[in-house]
Amino acid sequence: MNARHARVVRMAYLVASVAGVAFFAMSVALLGIWPGRVLEAQSRAMAPEHVLTLTASEQRGREIYSREGCAYCHTQQIRYLHADMLRFGAPTLAWETRLDYPHLWGTRRIGPDLAREGGTHTADWHFAHLFSPRAIVPDSVMPRYASLFDGAADRPRQSARDLLAYLETLGRARELAGPEGEAHAREACDCAGDEMRTMALAGTTPLNAAPARPRPRGDAPEVPVVSDLGRGRALFAANCVGCHGVTGAGDGAGAATLRPFPPNLTEHTYTRTRVVDALWNGVAGTSMQAWRDYALADLAALADYVRSLDATANGDPVAAQQLALGADVYAANCVQCHGAAGDGRGPAVAELRIAPTDFRAQRASVATAVRALATGVAGTQMAPWTDRLSDEQRVAVAHYVRSLFQGDGGGRGGDR
Amino acid sequence: MARSGDTGHGPVVDHALVRAHVVAAFVALLLSVAFGIIVAEQLVHPDLAADLPWLSWGRVRYAHTQGIMLGWLGNAFLAFLYHGVPLLTGSRVRSTRLGWWLFGVWNFAVLAPGWVLVLAGISQPLEWAEFPLPVDAFVVLGLVLAAVQFLPPFFGRGLEQLYVSSWYIIGGLIFTLLAYPMGNVVPELVPGAQGAAFSGLWIHDAVGLFVTPLALAIIYFVIPAASGRPIYSHFLSMLGFWLLFFLYPLNGTHHYVYSAIPMAAQLGAIAASTLLGFDVILVVANLLLSLRGSGLVPRDIGLRFVATSTVFYLVVSIQGSLQAQMAVNQAVHFSDWVIGHSHLAMLGFATFAGLGGIVHAWQRLPGARYNARALEWGYWLLVAGVLLMFVDLTLAGLAEARVWQSSAPWLDSVRAAKPYWIVRTLAAVPIAAGFIMLIVGLMTGARGAGLHALPAAGLELSPESGVAPRLAPTRAEGVA
Repeated sequence: MNARHARVVRMAYLVASVAGVAFFAMSVALLGIWPGRVLEAQSRAMAPEHVLTLTASEQRGREIYSREGCAYCHTQQIRYLHADMLRFGAPTLAWETRLDYPHLWGTRRIGPDLAREGGTHTADWHFAHLFSPRAIVPDSVMPRYASLFDGAADRPRQSARDLLAYLETLGRARELAGPEGEAHAREACDCAGDEMRTMALAGTTPLNAAPARPRPRGDAPEVPVVSDLGRGRALFAANCVGCHGVTGAGDGAGAATLRPFPPNLTEHTYTRTRVVDALWNGVAGTSMQAWRDYALADLAALADYVRSLDATANGDPVAAQQLALGADVYAANCVQCHGAAGDGRGPAVAELRIAPTDFRAQRASVATAVRALATGVAGTQMAPWTDRLSDEQRVAVAHYVRSLFQGDGGGRGGDR
Repeated sequence: MARSGDTGHGPVVDHALVRAHVVAAFVALLLSVAFGIIVAEQLVHPDLAADLPWLSWGRVRYAHTQGIMLGWLGNAFLAFLYHGVPLLTGSRVRSTRLGWWLFGVWNFAVLAPGWVLVLAGISQPLEWAEFPLPVDAFVVLGLVLAAVQFLPPFFGRGLEQLYVSSWYIIGGLIFTLLAYPMGNVVPELVPGAQGAAFSGLWIHDAVGLFVTPLALAIIYFVIPAASGRPIYSHFLSMLGFWLLFFLYPLNGTHHYVYSAIPMAAQLGAIAASTLLGFDVILVVANLLLSLRGSGLVPRDIGLRFVATSTVFYLVVSIQGSLQAQMAVNQAVHFSDWVIGHSHLAMLGFATFAGLGGIVHAWQRLPGARYNARALEWGYWLLVAGVLLMFVDLTLAGLAEARVWQSSAPWLDSVRAAKPYWIVRTLAAVPIAAGFIMLIVGLMTGARGAGLHALPAAGLELSPESGVAPRLAPTRAEGVA
């Protein structure tokens, strides 16, 4: 290599070296700083006026979530894709992450995305699930976090309460912003032509599509009339036994700490409509989540399998006199919640966290009904009636509410 | 003119430091593999951790990836640098004392406390950056010490005299120093989506500016040094080097495609990812052409490790370009496909390069034991294990993606993945056995057998000729 050649090569390397540093600087500028500024401006413009900050408890919960690597299985980032939006709801906007230090977006989903988890499950459910995930979700591979508890799912330590508090914040800011917030964001976004942000704010996308999130009773779709009992049994074994138990007796591994307890399915006669409704909507206020991610044919199969578990006897005919006494007791004590017609729509319903039983759509065994009157139903507003009603009155009203059952056909007296 | 030709590799290489880092590398490797097996096994038996918080999945995963990157690869690269830098430059590294300080900082101020802290629950939830901030300070200190230790010898002579491995070493050490704080500190300071943009950069820079350059430095070193033939084209080497350094940093945002990060940044990163694939074809072609017809790959185990690494590098890079494309990304992102990809990169490409460097240096370490048969077993077990794991995880990812694209419930994707997770855990058997055989290969056998094995493999290597002159084509031409 002669001297001239060497000088040229040296110059070329010097230029390349400077360019190398420049490219690195460019990567930081174009892929770090510039997007940061855009996102900052966007967040400021689109965020609602007041965004809740985390309380001390929620912040501690976030630290637990961070240190346990929750973000390595659960993303907190709904992408601008229809598959994501159908499953998890509206795509994550930058302003929703404005208080995340550091971000918990994640790049791997073993479990579902949690960006809008808040309000999807009850505290009981979360505690039972964190303490022992497979007690609630038999096929789950989530680790147990028993160290957050003092030996049992209903004895959460402060750390478990903190973690729950944090989980309940996920998606909260956007939900609290409400329709006004969405309108404000749409206006501030000025996103005509920006396909991504148009998607994020399209009114047609449900903010929270979480298929497990309970909804009020009603509006369940029609399910196929013919179903496959074998399929129903398999689905029950894969999804329901954690709480309802292998036989449906409500004694599953995760049941003990849930309030209200999962019902004993062998002691209840349900209309098909009632079971499908509970599967589609969940039972709001209880740990019964919704199962809207299952095909309607699956829900039909499950509903029929659940109904097949019913082992209540039709029982002896009830004396008219006893029914009349029951009707009187009912009218005097029960209509406020359960409604005059027994449809669970009494005038006090608006005040209740959990909708009262619709006696037209479900009928407990005599023993179960009498027990409910004697002990109340823990976790609901159904109180024990031993102090106000005599044994005779309670038995009479139990028989009376059973007589309200209409079956799927709408005719009184049973559906078989 | 040449200072190295007459000294050979004997006196200037600090053998004790090579040995120390090789030992540390294998200790870190075994522990990191154990962590990996624990997390893999927990997906098959989720109750395995028995309610011990420090064995729980998330924490052990942190320890696994940080251990592989900093503990195993970090020490393997340092071991190679103590062997390679003196031979590339003809000069000693800065100081033996500094070397022991670096060894101490890297293993006892970074790795050991980092592991203890993440397992104790003190960490940051940032990918490839899980060690907490105080440990990060010592990583930066270690990188500064490494720069002081290894860079000065390169600047003693004209830039035009530098062989491509030297460039990769210089680039890797300097750019890692620049990129590390960006990925480990900045996301703690800027929130949410903005922080994620920086995380995305670091996730790629960790692989692109730390792991890849040092692995390529080893490959570019071992191929001519072990085969006795110059690299196919010095020009292609340098072109490949500069393109890599221009393009790698611009890839980062492809980890967040379809996110809230501005689409222009996403598209730019996708374009850079595509171009990177072409550059890797160029680099790999140059490397494989250097081996063409030599017939040495089956005979020299160090060379075989780096040649295999080169092939893995091609596959993993083409795959990377492919999965950055929006149509592919929207399906496979978040799935085990990506876990397969990262194992092909770190366990296939980088680990094989590191092993090639270690075996190559070990063969030339005076008095080192060497058991060729055990090494042979190790190689084949590892190849089998890596391929099994990669294919299995790729299929798992496709199975998950299929469920996610359908209206089936989420849990169905977990159910679909379970058989693949069992196979993945089984893949740990050949992988762990392979590593153990490699350790056996370097700890048993006759002393000095590595060096004796070389002439039998058809290589000409003597203290007089050394290997350094063969590394730089320009100098070889000069000599001729």
